[in-house]
Amino acid sequence: MLRATRSQLTRLNHRSFLLGWLGLTALLSAMFTAVIFQAASGGAAIPGSAPGGGFPTLADLSGPDGYVAGLGGAASILGIVTLSYWAIATASDYTTGLIRLLVQAEPHRLRLLAGKVLALTGWTAVVATVATAITVIASPLVARAADLSTSGWDTDVVDLVATIASTWLNTFLALEVWGIIGLVIAILSRSSAVAISVGVGYVLVVEGAIRLIASDVADTLPGATLTALAGGGSEPLSYGAAIGLGLVYGAIGLGAAGVALVRRDVVE
Amino acid sequence: MAIIRTTALTRRFGTLTAVDRLSLDLPTGGVIGLVGPNGSGKSTLIRMLLGLIRPSDGTAQVLGHPITHPARYASRVGALIESPAFAPNLTAYANLLSLAHLRGLDAARVDEVLEVVGLLGRDREPVRTFSLGMKQRLGIAAALLPDPELLLLDEPTNGLDPAGIAEIRVLLRALAEQGRTVVVSSHLLTEIEAACDHVVILTLGTLVFAGPMVELLAKTSEHVDVCPEHPGDADRLGDVLTTAGWFVSAVGAVLELDASADQAPAVNRAAAAAGITLRTLIARQETLEDVFLRLTGGTDGDLALQRAAQAGGSPVGALPQAQPVKESP
Repeated sequence: MLRATRSQLTRLNHRSFLLGWLGLTALLSAMFTAVIFQAASGGAAIPGSAPGGGFPTLADLSGPDGYVAGLGGAASILGIVTLSYWAIATASDYTTGLIRLLVQAEPHRLRLLAGKVLALTGWTAVVATVATAITVIASPLVARAADLSTSGWDTDVVDLVATIASTWLNTFLALEVWGIIGLVIAILSRSSAVAISVGVGYVLVVEGAIRLIASDVADTLPGATLTALAGGGSEPLSYGAAIGLGLVYGAIGLGAAGVALVRRDVVE
Repeated sequence: MAIIRTTALTRRFGTLTAVDRLSLDLPTGGVIGLVGPNGSGKSTLIRMLLGLIRPSDGTAQVLGHPITHPARYASRVGALIESPAFAPNLTAYANLLSLAHLRGLDAARVDEVLEVVGLLGRDREPVRTFSLGMKQRLGIAAALLPDPELLLLDEPTNGLDPAGIAEIRVLLRALAEQGRTVVVSSHLLTEIEAACDHVVILTLGTLVFAGPMVELLAKTSEHVDVCPEHPGDADRLGDVLTTAGWFVSAVGAVLELDASADQAPAVNRAAAAAGITLRTLIARQETLEDVFLRLTGGTDGDLALQRAAQAGGSPVGALPQAQPVKESP
């Protein structure tokens, strides 16, 4: 499996791919932090439960962990970005025909899958780090610009480190499951365009539509679950439930990807 | 020992049979040509041997191991399957390094294979900038990475210019002389004739010939083609020559006789004795292409598959079949 991971890391080590993923994450993290603080200070109505989203309130932003609260709002869009990059990294093996060489070199297809997941997980950890760092750095600046008090924020170093670490972990776990969703759709569809379209369409349209019909059910769907997970839990879904459900979605996704990869012929 | 052995190997895609009860033994060593028209099942066979697709029926062994367990022989086999497939934005070196890592090989091996295929110096360029010929060389380099005992190369000369084709031919011979077995599929019969010791001919998924190249070349026959000065004499000329003991078949206005070149004067005398003047009399030797077309029935497999699909059946049996010449060597 480590051979497969090393091989996948070599293929991921491409400037435009990594700069695109990290750059987009940094840009969106900064942008969402700025928008959320500006909107909150201006008294704008922030949607509490948009499709796949959940925005912090003014009280959240002024609270002890207000400097990371913006990340919860950006979680869905960062999740879509992560889904897209996992999908691109997976589907390109099919569109280029590289899968033929990979399966021939490593006929244990589950090892190939595990190697890919491990390599992409490593980069997802880096992405979560960038998103957390940008949010932590940008929050005081945009709070000052938005004339929002930061006097209630953590000042104790231990609290600060603990909050940042838990925020990072929550963000990482949410992005990881988003990535796995991208991977499984890409393996099933063998197309990054289809995988990204299905992922975005699901979060923005399908989950939103389900919310209109059955909001209780919608709170446990992947988009809402992962948003709750990234935000350390939400009103309808506790942190523990979000972690449990997130892990279930991740396991189902990996199981489906494994079955599809092992059972299907390589005809590309 | 057979390096590849298949027994009634079959692969169906829905109603279409791509490989149909194929039984053959391929000998160890040398260059083996795998020939057949489009859609004859060459690529499907290679993919089954590599474990990329599963057979519908039958069994096969590669290097003594069943194809249901490709991991047992993957480290001893290198392959180029159809067009070379690489990450276009990565350099040639990074693409090969990625495959070397996957096989647990040292990075030094990448430089070795790049040198063998003549790409050292161009290896730091993205693959998307490569010509088809360069990609083909890179594909061969990837196949050589594990220092394989068995090389399966599907159309390795695709996109190469004549000089490149000649180079690949020399490379294939050199690899075989090192003790490897090289199985190469190609549409270029002249290449197969020049490079291969052994040949397998498939058509519509079935075996029509498997054996040494010399045995196939021995199947070429001589013909004498005659054409009367007046087209109205063709039927009478045919009767005269048939009565004289030749097997005659009409191809348009030309009569084709199963006769060697030294019988041409006798043909001419028989026509003259019947009062028929010949406009042309040509003695010719069948080429490998003639034999190939005769054995395969001159069928384009892709078109046959398309027609069979439209008719809702299998191409095997839907079209005239060539008679198998030999089941196995």
